[in-house]
Amino acid sequence: MLAAILAALATAGFADAAAAKKTRIAVLMYGNKAEFVQLMQRYGKTHPAVASGLADLTFYDGRYDASVQNDQAQLAINARYDAIIVNPMDFEANIPVVTKARAAHIPVIVTNARLNSEDMDSEIVSNDVLGGYLEAKAVLAKLRCKGNVVIIEGPIGGSGEIQRGQGNDKALAECPKGAVRVLERKTANWSRAEALDLMQNWLSKHHGAINGVIGQNDEMALGAIEAIKAAGLNVKSFAIAGIDGVTDALGAVKAGEMTSILQDARAQMQGSIDLALRAARGPGYRPLSPIWNQYAPLGLKWNDGRSKHYYVPWTVVTKDNVDALLRDRR
Amino acid sequence: MRGSAWHIWGETSFRKFGIVAAFLALCVLISILCQLQVAAGEWSDNAFLTAANLLLILHQIAVNGILAVGMTFVIISGGIDLSVGSVLAFAGMVAASFATSAAGVTPWSGDYVIVVPLAAALLAGAACGAVNGWIIARFRIQAFVATLGMLLAARGFTMSLAEGNPISSLSDGLRWFGTGELLGVVPVPVVLFLAVFALAWIVLNRSIFGRYVYAVGGNEKSARTSGIKTARVKVLVYTLAGALAGLAGIILTAKTGSAQTGAGTSYELDAIAATVIGGTSLTGGVGRLSGTLFGALIIGVMNNGLDILGVESFYQLIIKGVIIVTAVIIDPSRKQAAI
Repeated sequence: MLAAILAALATAGFADAAAAKKTRIAVLMYGNKAEFVQLMQRYGKTHPAVASGLADLTFYDGRYDASVQNDQAQLAINARYDAIIVNPMDFEANIPVVTKARAAHIPVIVTNARLNSEDMDSEIVSNDVLGGYLEAKAVLAKLRCKGNVVIIEGPIGGSGEIQRGQGNDKALAECPKGAVRVLERKTANWSRAEALDLMQNWLSKHHGAINGVIGQNDEMALGAIEAIKAAGLNVKSFAIAGIDGVTDALGAVKAGEMTSILQDARAQMQGSIDLALRAARGPGYRPLSPIWNQYAPLGLKWNDGRSKHYYVPWTVVTKDNVDALLRDRR
Repeated sequence: MRGSAWHIWGETSFRKFGIVAAFLALCVLISILCQLQVAAGEWSDNAFLTAANLLLILHQIAVNGILAVGMTFVIISGGIDLSVGSVLAFAGMVAASFATSAAGVTPWSGDYVIVVPLAAALLAGAACGAVNGWIIARFRIQAFVATLGMLLAARGFTMSLAEGNPISSLSDGLRWFGTGELLGVVPVPVVLFLAVFALAWIVLNRSIFGRYVYAVGGNEKSARTSGIKTARVKVLVYTLAGALAGLAGIILTAKTGSAQTGAGTSYELDAIAATVIGGTSLTGGVGRLSGTLFGALIIGVMNNGLDILGVESFYQLIIKGVIIVTAVIIDPSRKQAAI
């Protein structure tokens, strides 16, 4: 009896202390030159737990170097952060972030890009194969599975290029055999400027033969659009799609120039913060971000923060839903 | 005296001839390969040697060509400028923040009369360059180190301007500098590049300042004893390179329709490559702008040609590396350039 009371008191005291204590979370971003990362940081700061002071975020810039990110993980471990969120640069090379954090008994959540490991507490990402499939489907639907397309790829060997490419291929294979020809397929390293030059060169080679452009991200699709405009051609006569839902792409969707497959930066970032808080603060924690209610009907379940894999659904951005998304960016 | 302008003049007819021959050989090689692919039925008609494609190549090399002009001055003066890619991004971001309809991206952002973004970007570029030159001349720090510092700092300035975000929704006035055409055919970037090249050629070959640049790079000590204010020449050279990076930033931003924080990353290497392929010696005192023009053309033709031929990007990098080194090896005046 006495023991039970003492235990209850101890638990209550512990819970009080935990509630009063700020949870310090280190967020390791692969780099910060991309708009998507900027969006993630912005949505991180507006998470209810961060706004109320329950959680404190420190962002690290991985400078597009996996080994820099691994070092930063060590830094965060030495500084005794309560949890680590990592948006990894590399599918394989950043696995040490998870193993090191595990060894130090610090919860670690993976967000945005996948890691080839099952040792993290949870990961909250969007399925890139599905993203690649959806964008290729959008292009092929406009072409009615007939014509010639080009594919502008992400950096060769990166998980984005490999998985989105698999999705592209899957959609292409669903058209009747021989109905759609992939004229060219080459990387522009996620860069708008590189994609602009590449598409100009392809237009020079193929004259009027290209009907569709599958850009494995929005920036490259936007580069292709600039190339088409520079060549004096009508953008609307092409079927063009990209992935991510960056602001300029939403503008281009609104202008009827492309389709974008939105990867929800807010859901990935705020979801990862809730998962980190759950892992650091224990079973009493209830998620505070509105994203869980928003996506519950689409199959993203909180499940007490105990699942290994959370997949944030993609949103196909068309003229019908673009205005609401643009308003959200202001 | 190795750096004397007349001595170089005699040697360089060889060099000029060599680089033009290399350029023509590359063009012929690519068009033959294209013709073979067309004959094999891989694509319809040979687009490589068309006027439109050659104009496109000029359009594509404008940014690198302008950077390389500045780089040629710097390298002839015995220095190096690693910061031009970052300075390009910084100037582009400055230009965009004065020419955008997306209000509030920076404290002063808005759509101003076109001279405001242009002047602000050129000034921003020139200021970065002037700081480079001042640090190198005043503290006698190696150009490699000083400009490496600026490479990092200018990238940081770029990101801090709009808190890491890109700036888009650019005014038509600014876009014209990347997408406009004169007489309905010649892209504005091409006109700007050729104008910059012509002016720079006159300055380097026909002005006293140009002769000073060669003298400082050839033998700084004797340049100083003969009364040349070497510190001032250096500051001016880096300021020029910075201002040209600013102009390149305007063009790239106008072309892509967005100022991006990652713009121009590693462009300094392409600018150095164009300069070196063109026969300018990294030891200073030796070099020609016409060589740099063909250096930039060779890189541009290679990028365009390998895309058209459908060469995989990894082979493209290997081929580019081989061509850069080969161009320097076969340079007929290399012995003279070596110390």
